[in-house]
Amino acid sequence: MTRYGMTIDVDRCTGCGACMVACAVENNIPPAHEGATDRTGLTWIRVFKVGQAFVPMLCQQCGEETPCVGVCPQKAVEVDPATGIVGQMPERCLGCRYCMAACPYHARYFNWHDPAWPPGMEKTLNPDVAPRMRGVVEKCNFCHGRWHAAKQQAVAEGRDPAHVEYTPACVEACPTKAIRFGDLATLPKPPGSVRLLESLGTEPKIYYRSSKVDLRAGKEPSRG
Amino acid sequence: MKNTRRDIFKFAGGAAAGALLTPVPWRLIKDSSLWSENWPGIPRPARGEIRSKTTNCALCPAGCPLRARCVGDQPVALTGAGCAFGVAAHHLPYHPARLRQGPVEQAKAALAKRTPSEPIAVLDLNPGRTASWTFRRAMAALDGTYISPDPNPIAYDLHSVRTVLSVGAPLLEGWGTPANVLAAREKFYLVHAGAVETPTAMLADEWIRAEGLPDPLPRRLLENGPSLAVGDAPGVAELNRKLGAPVYARPEAPVPDAWKKQAAPVTALDAVPARGLRFLLIDESSAVTYIPWHLIEPKLASDAVVITFAVSRGGYARHATYALPAPVFPEITEDIPAAIDQTTQVFRLAAPLVPPPPAVVNASELVAALADIPAAAALRERADFIHMQSPAHPTPDAFWQALVDGYIWRGSPSLPAQSSPTQPRPAHDLPLTAVPAPWTPALLSPLMTKLYEESNLRLPPNAVALNPRDAAALPSRAVLQTLHGKCTVRVVPDASVPPGIVLAGSSPGIRDICTHGDGAKVVLA
Repeated sequence: MTRYGMTIDVDRCTGCGACMVACAVENNIPPAHEGATDRTGLTWIRVFKVGQAFVPMLCQQCGEETPCVGVCPQKAVEVDPATGIVGQMPERCLGCRYCMAACPYHARYFNWHDPAWPPGMEKTLNPDVAPRMRGVVEKCNFCHGRWHAAKQQAVAEGRDPAHVEYTPACVEACPTKAIRFGDLATLPKPPGSVRLLESLGTEPKIYYRSSKVDLRAGKEPSRG
Repeated sequence: MKNTRRDIFKFAGGAAAGALLTPVPWRLIKDSSLWSENWPGIPRPARGEIRSKTTNCALCPAGCPLRARCVGDQPVALTGAGCAFGVAAHHLPYHPARLRQGPVEQAKAALAKRTPSEPIAVLDLNPGRTASWTFRRAMAALDGTYISPDPNPIAYDLHSVRTVLSVGAPLLEGWGTPANVLAAREKFYLVHAGAVETPTAMLADEWIRAEGLPDPLPRRLLENGPSLAVGDAPGVAELNRKLGAPVYARPEAPVPDAWKKQAAPVTALDAVPARGLRFLLIDESSAVTYIPWHLIEPKLASDAVVITFAVSRGGYARHATYALPAPVFPEITEDIPAAIDQTTQVFRLAAPLVPPPPAVVNASELVAALADIPAAAALRERADFIHMQSPAHPTPDAFWQALVDGYIWRGSPSLPAQSSPTQPRPAHDLPLTAVPAPWTPALLSPLMTKLYEESNLRLPPNAVALNPRDAAALPSRAVLQTLHGKCTVRVVPDASVPPGIVLAGSSPGIRDICTHGDGAKVVLA
């Protein structure tokens, strides 16, 4: 059984935003609507400036006691037992946003508007991902479309589809290789890595490392 | 048995209750949710055969190698770009602000009326391309002037130094080739001098929070050599000379000898006489820099005709007599000049991924037509010349095909540079010092709004950031004023900007009036 996860070396992140744009390209996330803000926008991965460091923030893919799963009245959020990826099914979502309230990482986003692209730009949409409608919640799913493609290729090549390797769009776009992705059983975790809000017992699958900011406390380490 | 009205109601109620036990309502819920997902208001991605193409990014001289994932012939994703702009470059042809039509015939008619004695010039905002040589040849034939923003471009070798002093330069934010800078970054100690908390400042080993060349110089720079200083600030070139820093003339791929013999010299804008231009053609279609309009305008005669080849109405199109639509990356085949951190000759092409709109004009072909120079095959001619010099491929056709597929030809290293002195800044009594945000392409993917509307990762193009103390009395919209003009801007209070500094966005309106170190003030609109 594979457990996909990420390591993010905060010290290497330059805050270029390539991961955010690559994620939007890959997952057919529309450009910001008129008057969109950080609270009403759709950015499955968002880079925050914390002290003198940039911290990429995305769904932490909780492993145990996944808060968003338990509160969903529609069973629109499920943890895939084969991969550990927390999936969101927009067809089932009724837009109650309980999951957004429950998520301790604020990594879920609500579609306040119908998805809209400038005329002609619809031609550039990724055929592997369906655009979501207004009124549903969405979030990072570790580029599930890419996982499906990798699985299909593994089947076609006669390999074990339960253990496929693939690369999410944000990892591929990161010019400094600050983000790394893979099976947590084999993915090397830098010394001193921490998981955000680990004390909640949600067992997130994203490991952060930083010598600049204390990610456990969410603030800079004291000087001197 | 007689059926009463009560029986009918009982039957209807029973049927409704019984229906809940059948798949019908659940099927209805599923179908309606699927319908709502696919209703006509939601775009449907195109389907087709998935193909892959390779090319090089032409948004900046870094020229990152790209792999385009295409559905049929339509690119839907780009990988390999080292920045957020390149990741979404395939959106640019569809940008709402894209210039698609323009007064092409009127512009040609105005140029046809020009007499040989009337001064004409081309301002090339991306010099070093094959198109630049076409401009120079055309200007030589027309007795005109070829103007470049930087007549003596230089290149830095980051790999041979142990200490780098960045004087306000956005070294880690798209200053050079991302992959090259980041690879070299592992080996040098970085000192950044600048007032604003930029990503380069945050990621530097040492940050000196002051504008301009630090005084005294950091000890590391002198003791941990070889060292290098980068930036446009006064004194940087002199410092590099003292340090013996690895600064070279920007290398250029070989050019046919016949072109060199018939080319106009490269002229700086400062050297053009005041009010001396009757016709000015500006190629900003693939601009990698911007010259503020207040520096160009004094060079124009009172009845000057300004023709700009633009991809949007945002740049010089606001000032030009005729704004002609130009192709945008990735619509045409063009070559990419060397970047500031490349010290060997390179020749690479950006191959088209989508066709351009029918009304766009290729600047070099229009200018070449004025001088009766064949320009349509200039790129191929140069490629053949390079192949003749160093035949890495069996035939010129094979070499050309490799270039179209993304091959990068590398030649010999460049020579040490002749640095030019920096210009002193005019005195002023304005209370703030302007620090413009790093340069951005004229047209950005609409998805870049993720970075400055839905997060605060970048400053919005039409905004200025001020320390909350300086912004205290200002509303959200105000006027940025410098010695060169005014511009309405959005004011963003930012505690990371020190008092006395105004961090200016990259919109053309702001860039027209504001360069690094200018005096500025922000007042009520």
